[in-house]
Amino acid sequence: MDERTERKVKQHNEKDGGQGSRNDSVIVLQSVTKRFGANVVLDNISLAIEKGKTTVVIGPSGCGKTVLIKHLIILLRPNSGEIYYKNRRIDNLGESELNKVRTHYGFLFQGGALFDSLNVTENIIFPIRQHCEITDWAQVEDLVKTKLAMVGLDGFQNYYPANLSGGQRKRVALARAIALNPEVILYDEPTTGLDPIHADVINELILKLKRELGVTSVVVTHDMTSAYKVADRIIMLHNGKIIADGDADHIRNHPHPTVQQFIHGQVGEDDLAVLRMSGTVSQAQFLPRDFQ
Amino acid sequence: MIAAVGAKTIGGVNNMGRFARFAWQSMAASFRTCVSPCTYSLVWTQMHTIGVRSVPVVMITGAFVGMTLAVQAYDQLAGMGLEEHLGVLINISVVKELGPVLAAVMLAGRIGGALTAELGTMNVTEQIDAVRSMGTDPIRYLAAPRVLACLLLTPFLIIFADLMGIVGGYFVSVVQLGINSRAYWSFSASGVELWDVAIGVIKGFFFGVALAAISCYKGFTCKEGARGVGQACTEAFVASFISILALDFALAVIFKSIYNTFWPMKSLVG
Repeated sequence: MDERTERKVKQHNEKDGGQGSRNDSVIVLQSVTKRFGANVVLDNISLAIEKGKTTVVIGPSGCGKTVLIKHLIILLRPNSGEIYYKNRRIDNLGESELNKVRTHYGFLFQGGALFDSLNVTENIIFPIRQHCEITDWAQVEDLVKTKLAMVGLDGFQNYYPANLSGGQRKRVALARAIALNPEVILYDEPTTGLDPIHADVINELILKLKRELGVTSVVVTHDMTSAYKVADRIIMLHNGKIIADGDADHIRNHPHPTVQQFIHGQVGEDDLAVLRMSGTVSQAQFLPRDFQ
Repeated sequence: MIAAVGAKTIGGVNNMGRFARFAWQSMAASFRTCVSPCTYSLVWTQMHTIGVRSVPVVMITGAFVGMTLAVQAYDQLAGMGLEEHLGVLINISVVKELGPVLAAVMLAGRIGGALTAELGTMNVTEQIDAVRSMGTDPIRYLAAPRVLACLLLTPFLIIFADLMGIVGGYFVSVVQLGINSRAYWSFSASGVELWDVAIGVIKGFFFGVALAAISCYKGFTCKEGARGVGQACTEAFVASFISILALDFALAVIFKSIYNTFWPMKSLVG
C-alpha cells in the first residue's frame, strides 16, 4: 500500500470507523493476542461488541475469524489481553465459573454441531436439561415446538441429524442456540455450504431473532450478501488485525485495497502471478500418456 | 539433534501432564456423577454399550484361554504323572493373570477404539465445543459416564472371562484329554484361593479406569480429519495395551508384597 492510500485509509477509519464505546458494550476485547506456535492469528485486537446490534466479522479464509468468535465465549483463551462480558473479566475465570457465563450465549457452529446420537427434540432440550430442573415435560415439549416454529421446522421433532439437510441442520442448531433465551448469539459461518435461497432463510432468521428477542449478534462470514443484509456494523480481519470497521457503506467505500479486493471477490496480483507461473493445464503432465 | 531430542522430551512431558490432569478431572467428575442421580441415565447408557455388549466377546476370549492352556500344559504335566494337577495350573493362570489381562486387552480393542472414534468424531465436528458453549463441562457429560461404566463393569467382565476360562479348561482337560473330573476339581479347589480370584477382579478396576481415561483423552485431543481420528484410535489402543501390561506388573508386585505381609497372620485369624 502506498503512502497516499495509507493516509486515505486512516482518514476513512477516523471518519466512521471505531471500536464502539465500552459503556454500551456487552463484550469487550482489550489487546487480545492469540498465537498457535509461531503463527500469530490475532494480533493485539481491541474490539467492543455493542448491545442489541449485529456485528459481522469478515475476512478471507484462515484469517482468524473463527478464532476470534471462539474467544468471545472463551472456547479459546488468549495468550495475552483481556476479555470482558458485561464489564466482568471472563478470560481468567475457571471452567465452572465460565459455564455460568456461557449460559448467556448461544453459539451456532459452522456445521451445526448437532449431537448425532440425539434427535431434534433431545438436541434442543440439551441445554435446558443441563441447567434447569425439568418438572413439566409438557411445557418442555411446548418450548421445543415454539423454538422449532421460530426456525420454521415444527414437525421435525423426532428426526435425527443424519436425516436432515444442511440448511435444516443449521436451523435446528439455531433453535438449540436460542433454547436458553441467550443475550448474545454467535454465528460461525451461518450460510456457508448453503444454496442462495437457504442462505437467505438463515439471514432472515438472524434478523428475526434480533427483532423479536433483541439479542446481540456476532456473525462470522465471508459471504458479503449475507454481511450487507444482517450487519449493523462490519469488521474486516486481515493478518490478525482489524483493517476496517464501520457500517455497510463505510466498508463499501473503504479505500484499503485488501478490503475492496475482498468485498468484490477479486483475485490478487500475487495469486495471479502464482497461477501464471504454474503453466497451462495442457502442459501439466500428472499422468503418463498411456495411463488407462 | 539435541534441540530435536529436547523438543520431543518437552512435548512428551507436556502430554503426560495434560493426560494426568485429564485423568484427575475425569475421576473427580465421575465421583460427582456418583452423587448426582440425574446423571445416572448417562451412565446406564454407557454401561449397556460398554458392558452388556462386550459380554460375548469377553466370554469367547476367556474360553479359548482356558482351552489353550489345557492343550499346552497337558504334555508337560502328563510326562511327570501330574496331569491331575492340570486344573490348578489352568485355573490359577486364568483367574490371576490371563483372564483379567486378556479380557482387558479385548476391551481395549472393542471399547477403547469405539470410545476414541466416537469422541474424536465429536471433537472434529465441534460437538465437544458445542457442549462447552452451552455451559456444560464436556468431561463430566462425556468422559465421566464412560470412565464410571468401565470402572464398574470391567471387573464383572473379568469374572465372565474367568468363568469361561475355567469351563474351557475343564472341557479340554476332562472331556477331551480324559483327566478324572473329581481329581481335577479337588486339586483346583486346594490350589486356587479366594485371594487369587480377588486379585484378578481388583485388577479389573484399574484396567477399566486406565483404558477409559486413555481412550477418552485421545478422543478429546484428536487431530482434524479422518486421518486424525484413525491415528487417535491406534494410539489409544497401543497406550491402553501398554498401560494394562504395566499396571498388571505393578499390581502383581504390590499384591505379592501384601500377600507376603499378611500371609503369616492367616493362621491366627483362621
